[in-house]
Amino acid sequence: MTDPIASPATSAPSVWDIHQPVGRRSLALAAAGALIGLAIAGYGLFTAQGTRTAIVPAEDAALINNVPLLRADMIAQVTALYGVPYAQATPAQRHNVLEDMIREELYVQRGVEMGLTNDDTDVRAALIQATEGQIAQDAMTAKPAEDELVRWYAGHKDRYAGEGMIALHEWIAPRGSDAAQAVAALRRGATAQWLGLKTSGRVDDGDEFYFAAEEHLGKALFTLVRRLPDGAVSDPVAAPDGVHIVQVVANRPPQPTPYAKARDQVLNDFLADKVARLQDGNRTFLKKRADIKIASDLQ
Amino acid sequence: MSFVVDFVTAIKPRRLRWALLLLAGGAVALGVGALQPNAQSAVLRADPEAILGDPQLRRVALTSGKQVFDTSCASCHGNAGKGDRTLGVPDLTDGDHLYGTGTVSQIEDIARYGIRARNKRGWNLAVMPAYARKMPDAAEPLPPQTPAQIADLTQYILSFTARATDAAAVARGPAAYSAAGCWDCHGRDLGGDPAIGAPTLTDDIWLYGGSADDIRRSISRGRAGISPAFARTLTAAQLRNVAVYVASLAPTRQERK
Repeated sequence: MTDPIASPATSAPSVWDIHQPVGRRSLALAAAGALIGLAIAGYGLFTAQGTRTAIVPAEDAALINNVPLLRADMIAQVTALYGVPYAQATPAQRHNVLEDMIREELYVQRGVEMGLTNDDTDVRAALIQATEGQIAQDAMTAKPAEDELVRWYAGHKDRYAGEGMIALHEWIAPRGSDAAQAVAALRRGATAQWLGLKTSGRVDDGDEFYFAAEEHLGKALFTLVRRLPDGAVSDPVAAPDGVHIVQVVANRPPQPTPYAKARDQVLNDFLADKVARLQDGNRTFLKKRADIKIASDLQ
Repeated sequence: MSFVVDFVTAIKPRRLRWALLLLAGGAVALGVGALQPNAQSAVLRADPEAILGDPQLRRVALTSGKQVFDTSCASCHGNAGKGDRTLGVPDLTDGDHLYGTGTVSQIEDIARYGIRARNKRGWNLAVMPAYARKMPDAAEPLPPQTPAQIADLTQYILSFTARATDAAAVARGPAAYSAAGCWDCHGRDLGGDPAIGAPTLTDDIWLYGGSADDIRRSISRGRAGISPAFARTLTAAQLRNVAVYVASLAPTRQERK
């Protein structure tokens, strides 16, 4: 009995005979496959089209080096630019807008290639703002729970108080007159006219908000006056133009606003605080993961 | 053909039934799977304003749009889209639009880029100044108003819905309106400006409530409602669908007649 495979008389199979295993053919095919793979990879690498897709997704108007231009953005721009509903825009109008969008995207991509993100201060400022904005947007998509808002309100009640209101008279005692006597007379109910006092003219418009009264009287005098009750008369205050006496007609300090009335502002403040905290956290995170080397003389 | 016959005869009838059932199920799943993206693609490729008029596109957009609304919008706008005056969240069913005119593409834009959501493509142009503050507006130098001027403005605005109680204050209203610079956003005719979200002041639709107290508070403390930007949390399809759904909540022109 003879072994037909081991027989030296048997001839070597042809590489073209696919029914016979042939080592050389396997090697040749593997090499060809490797070469084709390398060629595709090289083409993709050097033409920036490595992951190019043949189809523009339904939501996009175009893909520029695989960066999508949203169809919705194009529709919004057509409508804004030409002032007509999208359906009534002519093909030429749509084409113009799309061309502008393509141009913009190409320039943005070219700018990134050229390193404008490093060189141009406007680009850098815009990038910082956009990155911070992105963090804020993510924070705002989730509505806080009601009890979180209530807790925030309870912790910051002063912020939601209304402006205090005050109605005043400010009298100026003539130089040389006895201001203390005038104050005592005013407190007893005498009129300013009878005492010969003149108004300063700074606070004669009736009710005004605290900030306005402070602006008119000056910080020092207002600080003295804001604690006085209705009908009270201040002690005399010396000033370059004479001695001032302030008479309070009505003083309504800031009143707390109930939560239900301040809810919209509570929500805004809560979100603003959340955004600020997230941005702080983000800055810490970025610093932590970055490789920052500072010159020894600046450390 | 002979292969199919061989296959059928080779397996037992009971198994055949199961196999056929399985095949049919698979075919249906494949069919639905294949059709759904196509229908959604058609919604995305269509003119947004035409979707509600096309029964098939309408069905696809509304079905998915309702789900998106329930998960992303209802927490503020309410399940029925009726809004919340304590937060200044608008009623989406009244046909009145603060920003734009209520087209699907405008609603989609708001859903994507938000209102004062710190997205530069969003609607960020204006806020209602707080006239009882030293600096009513951070962006523009506006004069603060006195309590009396705010009272006059309140009465003036109430007069358009026949609710004013102080005729003298109403008469002083136009001067106060001009002095405060209200016309810059709300217009000389108080008709508002949908390009910046300034509401009409002469109708009876109120974002934050229309009582004298509510109006006084709006003028005194200002308003600056927020609508989040969902550009990064919702897909393009979800945004389109929810915009169509929201547009469908408002009465059509015919219904308004």
